[in-house]
Amino acid sequence: MEVTAYKTDMEFFVDMQRCIGCKACEMACAECETNGQESMIHVNYVERAVTIQTTVQVCMHCDDPVCAKVCPADAISKDDFGVVHSANTSRCIGCSNCVMACPFGVPIKEEKYDMMMKCNMCYDRTSAGKKPMCATVCPSQALFYGTREEISRMRPNSTPVNTFVFGEQVVTTKVNIMMPKGSTQLKVH
Amino acid sequence: MAKLPVSPEKIIEDFGPHLNFTPTEGYPGRDEPDATVKTHCCFCGMQCGIQLLVKNNKVVGFEPWMEFPFNEGRLCPKGVQRYLQDNHPDRLLDPLERVEGKGFKPVSWDTALDRVTAEIQRIQQAYGKDAFSILSGVSLTNEKSYLMGKFARVAVKTSNLDYNGRLCMVSAGAGNKKAFGLDRTSNNYTDLAHAEVIIVAGANVSETFPTLTYWIWRARDNGAKLIVVDPRVIPLARTADIHLPIKPGTDSALYGAMLKYLVDHDMLDHDFINNHTTGFDETIAAVKDYTLEWAEQVTGIEKEKIEQAAAMWGKASTSFLLHARGIEHHSKGVENVLGCINLVLATGRIGRPYCGYGTITGQGNGQGGREHGHKCDQLPGNRDITNPEHRKYIAGVWGIPESELPGKGLTAYELIEAIHRGEVKGLLSICFNPLVSLPNNNYVREALEKLEFYVAIDFFLNETARHADIILAGSLHEEEEGTVTTAEGRVVRIRAAVSPPANARTDTSIILDLAARLGAADKFTYKDSEAIFNELRIASKGGTANYYGITYKKIEDNMGVFWPCPSEDHPGTPRLWEDKKFATPDGKAHFNPVHYRDPGEVTDEEYPVVLTTGRVVSQYLSGTQTRRIGKLVGLIPEPLLEIHPELAMKYGIRQREMVKVSTRRGTGEFPANIVETIRKDTVFIPYHWPGRKSANQLTIGTLDPVSKIPEFKVCACKLEPLGVISRPGETTAFDSI
Amino acid sequence: MHASLNKKALLVATIVTLGCVVISFYGSRKLQNFDPALIAYLFGTLFALFGGIYRYCVWLQRPPTWMYFRRTWQFIFKGSFFVHIWLLLEDSVKNLLFQRFIYPRGKKRWFAHFMLASGCLAAFAITIPLTLGWINFTLDPGTALDPGAVKLYNANFFGFKVMSFKLGSVLAFLIFHALTWCSWAVIAGAVIFFVRRLTNAGLIASQTFEGDLLPLILLIIISVTGLGLNFSYAFMKGMAYDFMSVTHAISVILFLVWIPFGKFFHIIQRPAQIGAHIYKREGKKRGMAVCPHTGKEFTTQLHVNDLKIVTKQVGFDFTLEDGSSHLDYSPEGKRSLLAKAHLKARQEGGSFFG
Repeated sequence: MEVTAYKTDMEFFVDMQRCIGCKACEMACAECETNGQESMIHVNYVERAVTIQTTVQVCMHCDDPVCAKVCPADAISKDDFGVVHSANTSRCIGCSNCVMACPFGVPIKEEKYDMMMKCNMCYDRTSAGKKPMCATVCPSQALFYGTREEISRMRPNSTPVNTFVFGEQVVTTKVNIMMPKGSTQLKVH
Repeated sequence: MAKLPVSPEKIIEDFGPHLNFTPTEGYPGRDEPDATVKTHCCFCGMQCGIQLLVKNNKVVGFEPWMEFPFNEGRLCPKGVQRYLQDNHPDRLLDPLERVEGKGFKPVSWDTALDRVTAEIQRIQQAYGKDAFSILSGVSLTNEKSYLMGKFARVAVKTSNLDYNGRLCMVSAGAGNKKAFGLDRTSNNYTDLAHAEVIIVAGANVSETFPTLTYWIWRARDNGAKLIVVDPRVIPLARTADIHLPIKPGTDSALYGAMLKYLVDHDMLDHDFINNHTTGFDETIAAVKDYTLEWAEQVTGIEKEKIEQAAAMWGKASTSFLLHARGIEHHSKGVENVLGCINLVLATGRIGRPYCGYGTITGQGNGQGGREHGHKCDQLPGNRDITNPEHRKYIAGVWGIPESELPGKGLTAYELIEAIHRGEVKGLLSICFNPLVSLPNNNYVREALEKLEFYVAIDFFLNETARHADIILAGSLHEEEEGTVTTAEGRVVRIRAAVSPPANARTDTSIILDLAARLGAADKFTYKDSEAIFNELRIASKGGTANYYGITYKKIEDNMGVFWPCPSEDHPGTPRLWEDKKFATPDGKAHFNPVHYRDPGEVTDEEYPVVLTTGRVVSQYLSGTQTRRIGKLVGLIPEPLLEIHPELAMKYGIRQREMVKVSTRRGTGEFPANIVETIRKDTVFIPYHWPGRKSANQLTIGTLDPVSKIPEFKVCACKLEPLGVISRPGETTAFDSI
Repeated sequence: MHASLNKKALLVATIVTLGCVVISFYGSRKLQNFDPALIAYLFGTLFALFGGIYRYCVWLQRPPTWMYFRRTWQFIFKGSFFVHIWLLLEDSVKNLLFQRFIYPRGKKRWFAHFMLASGCLAAFAITIPLTLGWINFTLDPGTALDPGAVKLYNANFFGFKVMSFKLGSVLAFLIFHALTWCSWAVIAGAVIFFVRRLTNAGLIASQTFEGDLLPLILLIIISVTGLGLNFSYAFMKGMAYDFMSVTHAISVILFLVWIPFGKFFHIIQRPAQIGAHIYKREGKKRGMAVCPHTGKEFTTQLHVNDLKIVTKQVGFDFTLEDGSSHLDYSPEGKRSLLAKAHLKARQEGGSFFG
């Protein structure tokens, strides 16, 4: 972890309206060396009975990660790059606090391991200067990993937003969601 | 030969499908591969670039190939999981011989090939040359496609050779030849990026060609309007500017009405029509009564929407029209295609940057495979087997007298019919699983049971090959060098990443060996795949699909070359028709009049519901490969019957209740998925599964009179709820019998 | 991590450590049975005890930890106590003794951890009481003076004889070499882990030297020098004995001192997993929460209610305008809500793309 080629000018941009629900990301996520064939990304139908809409969710890597704060075992940590890491396997007690407290519904309780796992932005790849698996393969580029300049050139009418409102709570994140130009936040409730 | 040698359960136990999963911590050696091989995905026509990681002659993983221009590392779930077809427990490692009551036993190559040779000779002596038939497929490389064509005509000397492209894009090919004199998408897909309006007709791009979505989304980022024609709200349609939920089987009515609208509102490119086309007057005469009201009645689409779409198309200055199986799998497939082409020609938006048209070819080598002669009516270079000039040229290349070159044979489905009638007695199949992929497959099964001798070449024992007398263990995509031509018309290199395991052999070596045993050794003296390609170059020289100027080196240096490429210094042709010189005899693009007619089977009181079929994102064609990959099966474990809540309510069908679907040809039982994203008069079932879960038990064998494509996309059915709720994961469909 | 001194933790740790000293004093029969050669180890052990308890108390005071701790004991003492104790024992054997939850992650991984854990725990069980003087071995006075008799050894616990065995018997061999067996187990496990950490790309990317590799190195050094002491004594006539003895002592003391702070703290933390199991089991009995979006059960209502309290305690408030909470939704529901809000924003913005 000390020696790293992590590129700090690269950022993650998500636009779930581009998602076609193909689950290439889900398959590719499992190929990430840090997750042992388990997929950490979520693709789900929003309400299949009425719409084909799917949504895709990676870890947003909160500036102040509630998952880490509610962890009774101090198993979740955020590094200097702002990446919130998957539970420390030796500490995690599988209580699911993080799973239920994450406002984005990201961490996964792997029942068979009695342990939580989550997206760490393909740390094996990003720390080597590569793009995360999901954003690399995503055929719709609902998941985009690159520089701010690239995204603003390709999608000039959208603005990256990293502030989310859940009732009383405002959460800011490392990962951005692409919103209509000029947006400053996404109010979920 | 007759029925299965042993119960299907026993065959499945021995040969699968079994599900393959990557070990929890990956295959050993993935971190330090012996080689990283730049090749392409083995699945659809996009032929995305991918790098395979190889360790100890096994494919142990993949790494995105960021530099390949079409997909720049992007992949769909099938592409990500493709590496799991290697290292697969079901892989055939020896030639197999049918043993009555026992199944299949491994035999030596000599035993197997001697038997095949003897049977071909016996059948041909007893019943005539054409009594032995060959069914091929276009997941094969250009080299192997070419070789199969030559093998059939020169070694087996049968006219009855056809291929599974017959179920794919033959309607588009026929339509394109009529209109342009050449069968290829007119532009490469980067031209999509700046098209103002894009029509996607009958193409579930986001499930069947997921990586093409990128280019459509790029266009929309640049402001393009998207019109999607589909009976269902497919993922692409959800955010589309206009979605036209068309009633299956009525496509040509829609395009006719849109053409009339363009004419009525003078949204035409008169210069282009006058100078570069023929047949305009007859064509508009054919649509003169196709008012928006009439179209609404026929297609079930609100007339305002049709008008909006026509106006949007008419006003655009650049555009791209894409279609696929949704309009091609019809008894009017060619007419539907021509209806689309008429819209393109009327606005003159072709042969310019960001003005494009094309079919999205489905199979891995659907483009190249249909150009080099394993189609019953065709010779290499997309030449016509009935054209004396063409015959003479190819006979010359092959070193045989023109008189010995067989003529036009039966198309794939007609061949099955001929087998059923007892006229054709023997079959060699490669890369084709008709028991899953052909319509009305109970009929297909009966036909297979009548064969006197059936030999299959495959790497897995697919459902059809279970009926074979001999199975020859062939090679996977990653086990042979070669080229394929992508849906864009780009010829790309396929690399041998590994060699065939155990006693399995490359398809090429099997065919060459058989050719020699049949006495044609002197005509099949290739030292490697490149030698076959070099002969193909000569054979295609002067044809419309001209590969003469393409070499392996040139492909490797440029990450692909677009045909036509007539000479070695020619850069290839990413965009066709820039000179407005079309490949028709008169050099003009041809309008073709399209009169609307009903599909082969319409609904009635007994069978009141329209049934349409299609695909899902995690499966490829008949599933021979993808139904063996654990995670792909896991994504969509079984076919569901998509049905609108109103229709479901009418029959009292509940969510996930088992529903018996019957047509005049067969019945099947599927769990209902009640969704508002489908027309109220139509149900949908994906077709990749075999046996009791096969949608093709229900579909109809009505053929298009020109292209002979079967009408997979529309037939009449009835629905009966069975009162049983099926829970996800309760049934396995991947190995259904 | 915790900058200021935690008074509660200090108090508890001091009391427990002093308690231990008192017990050891009397347990070793006023130091009569105490082995002075182990003095350095004694201080290491006491420090580890003090540090471990201190750290444990600090840890317990974190709102989510405290919630689980409190609930666990609450559930055990309410309701059917013996059923709980039985399940607790069962769980402890499965998860603490055999670490069964690791097995699905990989057989080799489990084997390595089991060897490592068994070796360490057994070694603790032997060395700590020895160091504290709780256990000692004496030659049976009855047989000691009789030259004809087979010598009997007595094992004493707090000075009371608990068993005796014959010198030179298999049992004696096993008991006197118990630490040897522990060492071999630890070496086997640690080496497997070490190789894995050097070759698995995923681990290479996410591990740290001091957090993941150093503990393994330390365990290997302890075990190898421990074995070396024995070997040197038995076969090498004491060659390099001093060197190994010092290295062993330093590495053990380092290990002990480090327990409260590093990777090894998880040994003390792990029983909390059992608490989480009890929490889940009891919560289920009290009823499941149903997600308003998916309409499906997703966790216990107890968990949702407790999390609402805990999130507020750690500075988050997911309360919504209508008085309900974002935490009432399942993970899938939360993702769908976000997607719906995003869809609405995109629709209002007039364009999905660009």
